[in-house]
Amino acid sequence: MARGTGEKKRKQPVVEDSDHSDVEALPEGGMDMPSEEEGEDGVPGSDDDDDEVDEFPEIDARSDSDDVDTDEEEVEEDEDEDEDEDGSEEDDAESGTEDEEHHIFPQAKTVISKITGQPKKVYPEIEPDYDSDSSTEDAPNRVGNVPMHWYDDLPHVGYSIDGKKVLKPARGDELDKFLQTVDDPSAWTSAFDKNTQMDKPLTAEELDIIRRLQAHENPDASYDPYEPTIEWFTGKGKEEVMPLSAAPEPKRRWVPSKWEKQKVMKIVRAIRQGRILPAKPKTASSQQRFYAIWNEEPSSHAPPLPAPKPRLPTHNESYNPPEEYLPTEEERKEWEATDKEDRERDYLPQKYPSLRLVPAYDQFIQERFSRQLDLYLAPRIQRAKLNIDPNSLIPKLPSPSSLRPYPNYRSLNFRHTKGRVRCLSISPDGGWVVSADEEGIVSLWEVMVGREVKRWNMKEKVGGVEWCPRTDVSFFVVGTDEKLHFLVPPNLPSMVLAATQLLLAPPTLPPAPATPSPVKWSNPPSATTSDNKPILAIDLPQSSGIPKHITWHRKGDYFATVCEFHLTDSIPVSASGEGQGGVWIHQLSRRHSQAPFRKVKGSVQLVLFHPTKPQFFVATQRYVRVYNLAEQKLLKTLIPGIRWISSMDVHPSGDHLIVGGYDRKLCWFDLELSEKPYKIMRYYHSRAIRSLHFHPTYPLFASSSDDGSIQVFHARIYNDLMTDPLIVPLKILRGHEVKEGLGVLQVKWVPKQPWLVSAGADSSVAVWCN
Amino acid sequence: MESTSVSLPVVFATKTQYPLPTQKFMIPATWKRYQLSQLVNKALALARVVPFDFLVRGELLRASLGEWAAERGVGEEETLEIEYIESVMPPQRMASLPHEDWVSAISSTVPGHFLTASYDGNIRAFDYSQKLLLSTPAHGAPITSLCPVSGVGVPASDSYLIATASHDLTARLTELTFPTPPNSAMVSRPIASLHLHTAPLASIATSPQGKHLITASWDTLLGLWDTKLPDADEVPLESRSSKRRKVAGEGVRRKGPKAVLKSHTARVSAAVFDGEDSVVSCGFDSTVRMWDVESGVCTHTMTASEKPFLALALVSPSTALAASSDRTTTLYDLRAPTTITTPSASVTFTHPATPAALAFSRAPGSQQFVSGAYDGVVRLWDLRSAGHEIVKMQVKDGGKVLGVDWVGSVVGIAGEGGVEVWRVGEDSG
Repeated sequence: MARGTGEKKRKQPVVEDSDHSDVEALPEGGMDMPSEEEGEDGVPGSDDDDDEVDEFPEIDARSDSDDVDTDEEEVEEDEDEDEDEDGSEEDDAESGTEDEEHHIFPQAKTVISKITGQPKKVYPEIEPDYDSDSSTEDAPNRVGNVPMHWYDDLPHVGYSIDGKKVLKPARGDELDKFLQTVDDPSAWTSAFDKNTQMDKPLTAEELDIIRRLQAHENPDASYDPYEPTIEWFTGKGKEEVMPLSAAPEPKRRWVPSKWEKQKVMKIVRAIRQGRILPAKPKTASSQQRFYAIWNEEPSSHAPPLPAPKPRLPTHNESYNPPEEYLPTEEERKEWEATDKEDRERDYLPQKYPSLRLVPAYDQFIQERFSRQLDLYLAPRIQRAKLNIDPNSLIPKLPSPSSLRPYPNYRSLNFRHTKGRVRCLSISPDGGWVVSADEEGIVSLWEVMVGREVKRWNMKEKVGGVEWCPRTDVSFFVVGTDEKLHFLVPPNLPSMVLAATQLLLAPPTLPPAPATPSPVKWSNPPSATTSDNKPILAIDLPQSSGIPKHITWHRKGDYFATVCEFHLTDSIPVSASGEGQGGVWIHQLSRRHSQAPFRKVKGSVQLVLFHPTKPQFFVATQRYVRVYNLAEQKLLKTLIPGIRWISSMDVHPSGDHLIVGGYDRKLCWFDLELSEKPYKIMRYYHSRAIRSLHFHPTYPLFASSSDDGSIQVFHARIYNDLMTDPLIVPLKILRGHEVKEGLGVLQVKWVPKQPWLVSAGADSSVAVWCN
Repeated sequence: MESTSVSLPVVFATKTQYPLPTQKFMIPATWKRYQLSQLVNKALALARVVPFDFLVRGELLRASLGEWAAERGVGEEETLEIEYIESVMPPQRMASLPHEDWVSAISSTVPGHFLTASYDGNIRAFDYSQKLLLSTPAHGAPITSLCPVSGVGVPASDSYLIATASHDLTARLTELTFPTPPNSAMVSRPIASLHLHTAPLASIATSPQGKHLITASWDTLLGLWDTKLPDADEVPLESRSSKRRKVAGEGVRRKGPKAVLKSHTARVSAAVFDGEDSVVSCGFDSTVRMWDVESGVCTHTMTASEKPFLALALVSPSTALAASSDRTTTLYDLRAPTTITTPSASVTFTHPATPAALAFSRAPGSQQFVSGAYDGVVRLWDLRSAGHEIVKMQVKDGGKVLGVDWVGSVVGIAGEGGVEVWRVGEDSG
């Protein structure tokens, strides 16, 4: 018994530090603390609560190590059992210390927490020494878990941690072995260790396992076959208030289910009737087969794009942002007042004293949801970047400098006194310009010097001026209200002057036409003939308006005029000529005028003679009609798509027509192709296009506009029908002022030079030279 | 600091009467024209300070030498050859001769007098005291050109024969007799009218010895005339020209051309004599042509590309300056091979406006000419310095300049606003 108590005394530290090999070194005092406490607490007369509190940790601890329970209970309740065990241990002729050493796990202590007041388990601290873990014990042979017979023929048995060979220890013969067993009392409890090739004494655990196996016990030393019963539902305070169930078993528990039977029968019937087909018998083909999943060709699709990373938080999203990020009170109110969609950012910077006090993020779900929505709804397609040089899309046009000559500067400026210069015309030899303004001043001046040589005063607004294209005679026509005047320039060679006079004022008048025309041709009396008076005048029908457009046939015998109506006048249609569109064709040689159209749809804006063919272009407000004059029929109608046609010119070759509109569009028609424009140039002028003119010899045309600018284009037409005309913008000539919304009213080319003459609303006429 | 230490090696050359010895100078890069001019003056120890202008590689030096070198990328090691010329003093407007109408031509070859041709058809004569001596109607239409026939054998030495060309398709010869006592009235007498052209005449010029006249007209023809006065009308009177005869008055002989030079394809704008035997003409067909007077054939044609020529001035035999409507004045060597489209060797003077009149300095050895442009500025150029004009003369009202003449130090400028007389070159002497 004394030995038993001694063992018991020794056992308690073992309970605490089972891992320590040197048990004796441990202090004994204080190690009983848990047992003492429990002893104090675990007075049988104490509260039920305390019991419960005590028991729960015991349950937990038992799953880890059973000895805890046994030891504690030994201490508290049963000492007899303990003694019995001890007695049985004594039978093993083993030292008790070794017996106690097999407690591997550290014992937990249950203490009452000073903070919570609840019991908690406290484990002894593990000292991180080399000795604290048996795995770090010195094992000289580091060969590992390999069959040691590999080293049978070798002088060594493995390698130390330093890589040095561990030599086999010297082994004596059988006599030595026997002598050793005699000398060594522990020899009989030692076994041959292959790893070190020497006998090693068995440890206490191993001996204990051997003893248990011999005794047909559970080899696990911690297994307690005699565990105390834990009364879960009995005892005081553990009674079941409600019984689990006292109801008799319902009938349905044992009666077969009628509904189930019905359902089963339904299926059975369906199977019988063949409505439900049983699963196909498994054949070789229907069985799952193995296949090489990497055999397929890799997909040509790009892998799905990774989702874009969410924005990283910034400084003002910190829980402790710098003070300057924090919103002021006004900012906070303003932020709260704005709608959620209008907020610049969807949070307000907030400051917390510590990270512990940061609440859960209230926008978390919302933010996640919106991000998922974004990822789901926003297409993430790898867009193939168009690697096109934008410059390559610009059509290859020759540089303007290679297309010289073209006018590029204003050489001189001829000023009318006042009034807009509506019209101008250049003599066929290119030496003289006649320009007329709204005051009725018609000026004849030299192109290159700008010197006015003669001036006529018509005393009323001049609608149009046009020089006769013939070279053997020299005169020009001026259109004023209901009248056309024929004027002869001064300083003519006598031959030309004579021819002109003969043409315009012939001594014998040609026979009057059979049908009387409302147009009167009249010569002033020959006595008053002078340079200052018109040599011939044509009176158009009454109130037919100003001839705003005069155009000559190339041969100079016919010319056509278009009159502007007085819309306010209430003159009968037949008399005013509105029905025929205000168009008159005059023939000089017969001194006869005729209206080519009996009735014209729309108001005629412009007319033009075809330069080579007997064709006649008539531009109404929206359409250009081409008539054959010889056959007197409509050839085609061109649809430029312009709201209001302002100007038109035909290329000297006769195959191309340009039409300009007040709506800033310019249409280029290839007359041999279609009724639709070949090319439309939109809005290159910022205001309405006023005038267009093709150069008679150079591949140039010019357009003038109310924005005060003139644009010069290169327009080359190829004889090859397959090659499209080349239109290159060359130069914008600025210099005319815009007055009352009107800019450059007419442009004309100087016939033999690449020079341009322009008449502006600022009562100036400019000559632009190359 | 660094720029002050830099100096450039320079060799001076000149064609003036003040040559420096050929020697390399190290000139500080900061030196400008003024310092260089002082250097030359000091080196030559001239009694009277003569200001000089300096041409570096055909360019008038305007900034400092260092700036010029930096702009051209010329290193400090390269030796610069600087040619110096006598400076042209800033021109002074000496007189303004008011006219009622535009003045198309001025001639100051008659000593002590200016002759002007106006668009109102009158010839006017002024003396140097700006007094209008005579205003005589010569044509019924604008006169475009005027030239005194030099050295003509008019009996009295104080009378001159004036040739004028006009829009009325004729040229005229008028005899002006300067009075021997200066106070008596000047007398003019129309002598002959030259009838050939069927379009307005652009210019008329006389040969150096006054034996021939050349007229250029819009009708692509050049008329060659001698200056002998015919005894009778060579061209019959037209029936309907009564009015013109009224203007011309009685005693005018109607004269026909000696030869017609026909090769231009467009308007001929100017023609001048190059010596007694050849004529140089230019026209709107972008050609400068050289004609042989005896045979009346075109001996040489220089074709430029798209340069309608407006004015012509002879620099030296076979070298002509021609002003064209593309705002350039180009120097053509007429001995160069025919029909180079872009005369590479030519020197081009670019104007900001259309140059309409040219006059070359008649001083011997001079390399300068004046050009009058439509912006109302007459520019003085040096042939060796194509980049910049040397001086500008701004006409008072800024109207177009239509004619210039330069004799001695007097430049007469005829234009829209009348005539101005400027003194150029030698300071008042």
